Amino acid sequence: MQSRLNQAAMVLVAAVLGLMLSLGIRFQRTLPPTLQNRRWDELAVLLGQCEAERDALRLEVGSLRAALAEAGQSTEEARVVSEELRQLRLVSGFAPGGGPGVRVTLNDSQRTGQAGEDPNLFLLHDDDVLRVVNELAAAGAEAISINGQRHIATTEIRCAGPAISVNNTRVTPPIQIMAVGDPATLESALRMRGGVLEILTALGIQVKIEQLASLEVPAFTGNLRLRYLQAVQ
Amino acid sequence: MVWAVIGLLAGLVAGVYLPVELPAAFARYHSVALLAALDSVFGGWRASLDGSFHTLVFVTGFFGNALLAAALTFIGDRTGVELYLAAVFALGVRIFFNLGAIRRLLLHLPPGKHSL
Repeated sequence: MQSRLNQAAMVLVAAVLGLMLSLGIRFQRTLPPTLQNRRWDELAVLLGQCEAERDALRLEVGSLRAALAEAGQSTEEARVVSEELRQLRLVSGFAPGGGPGVRVTLNDSQRTGQAGEDPNLFLLHDDDVLRVVNELAAAGAEAISINGQRHIATTEIRCAGPAISVNNTRVTPPIQIMAVGDPATLESALRMRGGVLEILTALGIQVKIEQLASLEVPAFTGNLRLRYLQAVQ
Repeated sequence: MVWAVIGLLAGLVAGVYLPVELPAAFARYHSVALLAALDSVFGGWRASLDGSFHTLVFVTGFFGNALLAAALTFIGDRTGVELYLAAVFALGVRIFFNLGAIRRLLLHLPPGKHSL
């Protein structure tokens, strides 16, 4: 009787051990080679590959758009529609544009802060850029780009750690803002007394404004997928 | 011994075919408990070789250590102290110690009398 009990106990223990083993193995199998199991350098390579792929696809988008524009020239109706489309693309930022305007270059302050002064005051921040862009828009700029990022309806200008996020792309000082519009109006809007320029230069932020007879703003290169917005009839 | 092998196989098969998944949250506790269970098994093997095996001690040790190790890990997770490392270290050392003893016993050497 005693040995029977012992045998039963042994079987039980062995069965539990086997169950635990196979459950554990099964669990480890179901684990995908997820992020936590991968090493940083592997992830960096992966990121590089994804970025290369994205750039290649972006080129493809460009050539496909060109083909599409060609197709739009076939009939009279198509020509009218594609002309309207061209115009809308230009306004919305989905086509590159050019014209007279100003180039505003912003950079961190060269002043060295005194002891006890907040060094953050002497760095170029997202709200400085935002203020300049806002002022340019208010002065009638028809197209604006920030370090090659076209300013469109969904564009954000936001602090992203040491960089500034524009169109979900990180840009860093020096920030070059291109604005198409009347050059004199744009510049004087920035130089208004008590205006943007005064606030920025007070902290030593380097601002350079150049009036240009001709400058170019690139097209929006991001991917705008509307998931919520619908046209209202 | 035969019964143990049969039980082990039954458990393995059951684990493969049972429609239960190990929840991800329990995976860590399960791993540490498994280590404790393995430690008990090697301890039991050694005990049976040197003649001091006792079923009740073995069975209670098996379940008790597994539960204790899992509980220790749980408490460690809650308090932010990596207590499972203590369990892994202690159990790992004991497993190797027991394996060494088993090797000696299987080679019919008295424990601790030889340098190699």
